[in-house]
Amino acid sequence: MSKVCTLSEAVSKYVKNGDHIVIGGFTTNRKPYATIYEILRQGLKDFVGEGGPAGGDWDLLIGESRVKAYNNCYTANSGVTNVSRRFRDFYEKGMLNMEDYSQDAIMLMLHAASLGLPFLPVKLMLGTDLLDKWGISKEVRETIDKLPNDKFVYMDNPFKPGDKVVALPVPEIDVAIIHVQKASPDGTCSIEGDEFHDVDIAIASKRCIVTCEELVSNEEIRKDPSKNSIFCACVDAVVHVPFGAHPSQCYNYYDYDNAFLKTYDVASKTQEDFEAFCKEWIYDVKDHYAYLDKLGASRLIKLKIVPGLGYACDMTKEAK
Amino acid sequence: MADYTNYTNKEMQAVTIAKQIQNGQVVIVGTGLPLIGASVAKRVFAPHCNIIVESGLMDCAPIQVPRSVGDCRFMAHCGVQWPNVRFIGFETNEWLHNTERLVAFIGGAQIDPYGNVNSTSIGDYYHPKTRFTGSGGANGIATYSNTVIMMQHEKRRFIEKVDYVTSAGWMDGPGGRERAGLPGNRGPIMVVTDRGTMKFDEKTKRMYLAGYYPTSSPEDVIENTGFDIDVSRAVLLEAPDPEVIRMIREEIDPGQAFIKVPVSETK
Repeated sequence: MSKVCTLSEAVSKYVKNGDHIVIGGFTTNRKPYATIYEILRQGLKDFVGEGGPAGGDWDLLIGESRVKAYNNCYTANSGVTNVSRRFRDFYEKGMLNMEDYSQDAIMLMLHAASLGLPFLPVKLMLGTDLLDKWGISKEVRETIDKLPNDKFVYMDNPFKPGDKVVALPVPEIDVAIIHVQKASPDGTCSIEGDEFHDVDIAIASKRCIVTCEELVSNEEIRKDPSKNSIFCACVDAVVHVPFGAHPSQCYNYYDYDNAFLKTYDVASKTQEDFEAFCKEWIYDVKDHYAYLDKLGASRLIKLKIVPGLGYACDMTKEAK
Repeated sequence: MADYTNYTNKEMQAVTIAKQIQNGQVVIVGTGLPLIGASVAKRVFAPHCNIIVESGLMDCAPIQVPRSVGDCRFMAHCGVQWPNVRFIGFETNEWLHNTERLVAFIGGAQIDPYGNVNSTSIGDYYHPKTRFTGSGGANGIATYSNTVIMMQHEKRRFIEKVDYVTSAGWMDGPGGRERAGLPGNRGPIMVVTDRGTMKFDEKTKRMYLAGYYPTSSPEDVIENTGFDIDVSRAVLLEAPDPEVIRMIREEIDPGQAFIKVPVSETK
């Protein structure tokens, strides 16, 4: 059965207001930007979710007021924007329901979800304000369906009395948004380079949207199953979206678009300029192909990585 | 001929980091100065160390300086591309197996005399003056590994009580980590700043000045530290070898992603 559809169809069918959403990728690597843009275009909102190591993906959702509650561990376009600016501004102004966990905690929570565990015992965050201070109070938590009423619960290790551990809730993910290098119509995915938490959220989510650089046949992707990491049955929609992670990186395909990330860095300094950026690059752009046309062929070609180096560079300027 | 004797405090800091790393150690780095330092270590002081990053990329040897720990520049030149949870499992098992080879570099905005670090926010947590990214991998790293903490040495950053504890140091002194439920045999071992190196007293777990740079002095450190700091054990650290400075400028960070060369050297 083919799950191939357009990005517009995938988002309207599988993303709903109020969803618990988790996005794949890592800060400026393999972030599914094209799908985020489409979610914004369709006006979807009230999301609850975990950032994982987030960047512009969650910053866009926050800046466009689409987030009801955000479990944060790190939000930055590292190396360009050291702290994502809408994230920072919204939190500083008290406009964002946000909880802080350590990155290890959130990544293990997503992994625990993939394993179907009822809760997660850890020794992380002990002795710190990550436990002592709750970003979202119990009262507010009780008003948000998709958030557990407690940030965490202390417990005694049942196998080692006296050993204090922290029990964390396991997220119940509605929708996972992932960008991969190759997928086939039945949903089988091949991720090149680090998978990050993407396989975990594909397994754990009720619905999973995959965008891919290359759409290959079901037979072709099975020629070397050792390269495949997501089972077709975990995926609901497959969308062919070349450069779908732009302006972030995609291993073996393209580097981050530093100039674009810098443009976003400057634009996101104020809400007004941020909104103008969103109008120009998201709302006034009909779809992903119009976005690629706007970026231009030569700009995209220059982002292609040099095989062997793993990044893009102008070889005529490399040291001889 | 370019001059490599005019090292900057940042370069001195990077070389100081490099000298903390020994052969056989597994070194957790982020981007920025620790990566530059670890790259120097790998070339000069400890070619047999393994550099790892919290995204799960193990035994990294990047050609061009990465901007993020998930950067393809790390990914293309490493031993194993693990997902992040495997990294977490590894760091935790290093403690469970009681190995002594893991050392980690973390940074922060504020630090207290016991090495508790804030990288979350300045001011009241709920109404912060400045909000940062959040913990990232730092909290987990500070839970399970010995850490070297990178700081800018300023009075407002070295303070008696940090606004928010993101990563636990020695807590309130001896026994503090155990009381909190944290591994007591792990913790901060050093602070490296642009003015010198601090260590923690074995008995009191309080920070003291261990070394200062030719460009700084114990008085300079006292003046820029917001709490009482013992400088009686401080020694003058050696200026970096010009060849190492050349390596940083010409080979490791030629694009000046993290370390700027002195203005006199720019054309």
